[in-house]
Amino acid sequence: MQEIARGITEAIKMLLSFDPEIYEIVGLSLRVSLTSVIISTCLGIPIGVIIGLYNFPGKRILIRLIYTLMSLPPVIAGLVVFLFIMRKGPLGFLGLSFTPTAMIIAQVCLVTPIIIGLTYNIVKEKADRVRRLALTLGAGRREAVKLLIFELRVGLLAAIVTGFGRAISEVGAVMLVGGNIVGKTRVMTTYIAQLQRMGNYDRAIAVGIVLLLIAFTINAILYNIQEKNG
Amino acid sequence: MQVKLEGVKKIYGSRTVLDLEELIVEEGCLFGIIGPNGAGKSTLLNIMAGIDAQTEGKVYYGTDRTEITPYRDITLVFQSPYLLRTTVEKNIAYPLKLRGWQENMLRERVEELMEDLDLTRLRKQKAWTLSSGEMQKVALARALSFRPKLLLLDEPTANIDPATTGEIERMLKKINEQEGTTVVIITHNLSQAKRICGNTAMLHKGRLVETGPAALMLKDPENPLTKAFIDGELLS
Ligand SMILES: Nc1ncnc2c1ncn2[C@@H]1O[C@H](COP(=O)(O)OP(=O)(O)OP(=O)(O)O)[C@@H](O)[C@H]1O
Ligand SMILES: [Mg+2]
Repeated sequence: MQEIARGITEAIKMLLSFDPEIYEIVGLSLRVSLTSVIISTCLGIPIGVIIGLYNFPGKRILIRLIYTLMSLPPVIAGLVVFLFIMRKGPLGFLGLSFTPTAMIIAQVCLVTPIIIGLTYNIVKEKADRVRRLALTLGAGRREAVKLLIFELRVGLLAAIVTGFGRAISEVGAVMLVGGNIVGKTRVMTTYIAQLQRMGNYDRAIAVGIVLLLIAFTINAILYNIQEKNG
Repeated sequence: MQVKLEGVKKIYGSRTVLDLEELIVEEGCLFGIIGPNGAGKSTLLNIMAGIDAQTEGKVYYGTDRTEITPYRDITLVFQSPYLLRTTVEKNIAYPLKLRGWQENMLRERVEELMEDLDLTRLRKQKAWTLSSGEMQKVALARALSFRPKLLLLDEPTANIDPATTGEIERMLKKINEQEGTTVVIITHNLSQAKRICGNTAMLHKGRLVETGPAALMLKDPENPLTKAFIDGELLS
């Protein structure tokens, strides 16, 4: 109990003193996770829309697969990416092991299925009504898709934010492919794990608080958008 | 715009919900469709609008009998309208934006419609917070905005109060007479049909029972089914 109370005081001091190490780690976390989410969004939303709109052979199996991947354990994503990019792996020549790029790739593997799955769900629910309305108002194919995205904007944004929450808070994938190297691949979650092992609880709590603050901010933004848009 | 249906059938599974030998909606008329629940009225209108495909048969548009649905000139207001997740005025303006109307003309048209349908004070309100009658009015204003040549209305005044119903009826008559818009309206309100409709069709179990001028047909029907329907009897 004492540890926690002292940890919190220490944490606040540390944050207010602008400890450069902590800020560097927070910065890398944000950079890696934001990049992953942007890439996952660019991949996930079009794929989700297409799966939602069109019928094709194997669609049912594909959807099952995506739903499964939505709850893919991060360590597994990390392991698979690691096996591909390790020096002796098929993509080893790229020299990506233990780099932020590798961490981004691993997080993209985690987040893309989430964005695809959530996009698919909302498209499936509304696409038909929007398509019918678009036809009655004289919209062409492209305009109808634009209208659909406009109609689903709140849900799509929620999907993106959910993906970001997953990326910023996971530890398994970034640990395996990044390696928690000081000044290079150390992010908030891997740092917390390390600090705990070293018994440096104050610092662990400090980083934990930052992580919580970020999560809180994301959820506040999301809540706000949803409130405003019914 | 004239619409002609030939041998149109709609079949769901093993059930035929619409089966018409021939139906013609003449250019410039205000055509009524009546009939009990489940008769196939909405199905018919959706096929005319090109939104649902018929299982069999053909639909021709205009006097040159094209089978291509002229989407830009037709509109349909659904029985339960779907409004876009934005304000009232943006909903009404959407078809005009789509057609590249200039901002000032677009403004003017939207103002005019909101005025006519008593929506001006709701202009900034989000569509999903409207009452169902207000929603129906917004959907109607949106459909009228671009002056379609063929206007298809599925029970447009079902949720609307008597005064506004009168207002809408006058509007429909006006655009029909002055702008020559062909209007097809489904209604359960028989006195409304008498007030505004020219030719009217009675549908039952997917089949055309009788057609004729509303005033005559609803006063003195030829077919016993129509008579029973008007008298408020359940049809078997
Ligand atoms: N997708 C569908 N699958 C199966 N049956 C359907 C489908 N859509 C409509 N039907 C059936 O077709 C019949 C005609 O429906 P329709 O909506 O055209 O009736 P309606 O005349 O408009 O009735 P109402 O006055 O209640 O609006 C109904 O019995 C309905 O159950
Ligand atoms: Mg109906």
